[in-house]
Amino acid sequence: MPRIGMQAIKGTITLALPLIALAICAELFFPAAFARLATLYLIYVTAVVGMQIYSGNSGIISFGHAGFMALGAYGSSLLTIQPAIISTSLPNLPGWLAAIAGGQPLFVGMAGALLVVAIVAALFGLPLARLGGAAASIATLGFLVIVHVTLVASTDITRGSQTFFGVPRGVSAFPALIVAVTAVALARTYRGTRGGLSLRAAREDEIAALACGVNVVRQRFVAWVLSGLVSASAGVLLAHFLGAFSPKDFYFNLTFLLMSMLILGGISTVSGAVGGTALIVIMVDLLRRLEGGAEVFGLQLPEVFGLTDIGVGLVILAVMYRLRDGLFGLREVDERLFPEPVVRANAPRQTPVSDDALISIEGVGRRFSGLVALEDVSFIVRPGVVTGLIGPNGAGKSTLINAISGVVPPSSGRVLLNGTDTALVPVNAVPTLGLGRTFQNIRLFRNLTVLENVTVAADAVARPGEDSRAAAMAALAMVGMQDDASRPANSLPYGAQRRLEIARALALRPSFLLLDEPAAGMNPAETDALIGVLRQIRADHQIGLLVVEHDLKLIMRLCDHIVVLNKGQMIAEGTPDEIRANPAVIEAYIGKRRAAA
Amino acid sequence: MDIFLQQLLNALSLGGTYALLALGLAVVFSIIGLINFAHGELMTVTGYAICFALIWGLPFPLAVIAGLSVAMVAAFLMERVAFRPVRGASGTTLLLTSFAVSAILRVLFQNLISARPIPVSIPASLSGVLTVGPLHLGMIQLISIIVTLVMLLGLNLFLHRTMAGRAMRAAAEDFAVLRLMGLRANSVVATAFVISGLLAGVAGLLWVAQRGSVDPLMGALPVLKAFIAAIIGGLGSLSGAVAGGFLLGFIEVILQAYLPESLLPYRDAFAILVVIAVLLFRPQGLLARKTLVKL
Repeated sequence: MPRIGMQAIKGTITLALPLIALAICAELFFPAAFARLATLYLIYVTAVVGMQIYSGNSGIISFGHAGFMALGAYGSSLLTIQPAIISTSLPNLPGWLAAIAGGQPLFVGMAGALLVVAIVAALFGLPLARLGGAAASIATLGFLVIVHVTLVASTDITRGSQTFFGVPRGVSAFPALIVAVTAVALARTYRGTRGGLSLRAAREDEIAALACGVNVVRQRFVAWVLSGLVSASAGVLLAHFLGAFSPKDFYFNLTFLLMSMLILGGISTVSGAVGGTALIVIMVDLLRRLEGGAEVFGLQLPEVFGLTDIGVGLVILAVMYRLRDGLFGLREVDERLFPEPVVRANAPRQTPVSDDALISIEGVGRRFSGLVALEDVSFIVRPGVVTGLIGPNGAGKSTLINAISGVVPPSSGRVLLNGTDTALVPVNAVPTLGLGRTFQNIRLFRNLTVLENVTVAADAVARPGEDSRAAAMAALAMVGMQDDASRPANSLPYGAQRRLEIARALALRPSFLLLDEPAAGMNPAETDALIGVLRQIRADHQIGLLVVEHDLKLIMRLCDHIVVLNKGQMIAEGTPDEIRANPAVIEAYIGKRRAAA
Repeated sequence: MDIFLQQLLNALSLGGTYALLALGLAVVFSIIGLINFAHGELMTVTGYAICFALIWGLPFPLAVIAGLSVAMVAAFLMERVAFRPVRGASGTTLLLTSFAVSAILRVLFQNLISARPIPVSIPASLSGVLTVGPLHLGMIQLISIIVTLVMLLGLNLFLHRTMAGRAMRAAAEDFAVLRLMGLRANSVVATAFVISGLLAGVAGLLWVAQRGSVDPLMGALPVLKAFIAAIIGGLGSLSGAVAGGFLLGFIEVILQAYLPESLLPYRDAFAILVVIAVLLFRPQGLLARKTLVKL
């Protein structure tokens, strides 16, 4: 896919150049103390960029990445420890481990540690990926505690809470640089891939992401494992940088430090991770000097225990109070400096929807613990036809939409979408079977660009080798928004946001489009424009439209066929003229007396 | 059988403390969506307040009252000073803010009071053992269980019988609508924090009474467990928090009793693994948010 290529390479180079310059300066021109600080910075960059892969894209703050670093550090150290030391420092090492422990070269240590981390991350990722938001954050905290407790308890292997020593020290600025640049390249590339983009979409709005065919659980899982591996390699470097460490070096203090680095720069971008880390490393280095009670201008300062923690804490508070998106904001540095060239729309050979495509609603009913929300509703939505679904409040329209889109399975009956029962496939599989939808309350990926919003959906149905951004551009052109492609979605006016939602649904190349109150809140001009767009869609692609609307005028103008629900029952079906004349419909809308009179 | 009963009591008393803490977290979370990392520091503050009140010469009951009052005031101030500026922000922002507050408070305790544990002289009558037939019941554990039950009952009454309590339940359902009804958001949020402070204070009291000392990190571990308990119960569900707290207490006591000696150091890891495994089957927690505030 070409789109991963260019921008990710630009981004990697933009971020790698200062790192390379730093490493060269540190090794060649500056004193050893500075070289050590630069090396430490590069190690932290790797760790924080690793966190960014998971936290930045999914929006879930992770407390667990210090745990990955610990696993990396101990794993690699066990393999590479000086053999002469093993018998004294680890006399009770289990046999299988003793056979492979000690004396291995650094790259074997790294490989072994990453293998272990991959397995651990995958096992823990299974339950974690199903959680979102704060619950997921706390689960990562649980992960950190589990790793810590296990390391402390496994005294035969790790020396418990005592210092683990005798690890060969071979990490200087250059090896750290290689790993850090690799980490940046991985993170920057991942951000633009289909997986990274869809995870960012889910961060903005999980329900909308599901409706665009995104398998949110799988994407969270992939990001967790990948980010764990990157952070673990930082742990490996740190172990061989320090030479001796204990489990508490990889616990809350480190977590706190890494977190401040990530959010100061801005959690959403790799640039933020690299920049924030630099600022915190400098700040902590200065504060450490003060901590011991330094002399400033002849003034003896008292010793303050934990001054760095206070400093780091205040930085986090300042960011949270004043600039939530961090210093670098929501866009990568390269995206600001070298904006992408305009993507050319490339209409995919969209074959008109075939005549045998069908949504068949068969005897659908739904009860919520005794309350009958929907009872025995049957009708058919055909391609190329605009079907309207109307009914007073509480008629069961939302329940029916949820049943059709597979979100809430019906308690009786079934919905067949092109022959597949939508209740039997995962929610995120329904869109790719041929049903795009919009939402009553607009659900856009607010912090992504217009083009990115549509690309998420185009990705879900892209054939191998197809450029889904060009397809997304084509979908934008269908609603007349190709000139807004690079704007953030949340900067659009209201009517345009509605049209963007439709473009996003169209990018799924659906046979049917489900529009939930598409004209809600629109002024007459916007409504007219909308009707034009919808008619065009039907004419060009033979897409079947199912429109739920309160605006009866709109329904009568737009629809070929209307279904009326009242109190969970289908009370009428027919052409607009038939519905207008139907006494049951008039009664449901206006009341019995007036209808009789 | 009596060993089993003994373990049951242990589980109830430990689980009760977790339940109080998790409930305090859930009360705040259900209203403003904040997972309060600094909840543990409220426990610690209570411990220090009791400790200094006793050193100052106050009788034990007064010291307890002083401790609980300080916890409530501290919770109130915490909301006013640290959390109000970020009210309404995303869960992530709130979480990080409280994480920073917690870290800063710990360093302050270490520097302003002491980095080492300070002994608290708990009256001897509290540390006795009650012998009923074959059972040896620690007074502290009995008191823990009773206090927990009283607190749960009291909170239940408060939430259902008083105006402020009803407002809080309504706020947990839909904060925006509550404000439209003309109730002051600030006072509802403040009430939630004061209640969570009281719950943390009681938990802190029970914790100090069992351990006999206070240190700056005292609150860290139990609150960590309470987070896990709150998630298992379903974040934001009050009854879920209580259920999760007791469940975690039971799991820990059972593991403590039946794990082989060589695996005992891994107990906490196992306990967390067990509860997180629950999430594989119930990702929303045991009592998800919909069954709100039915204690």
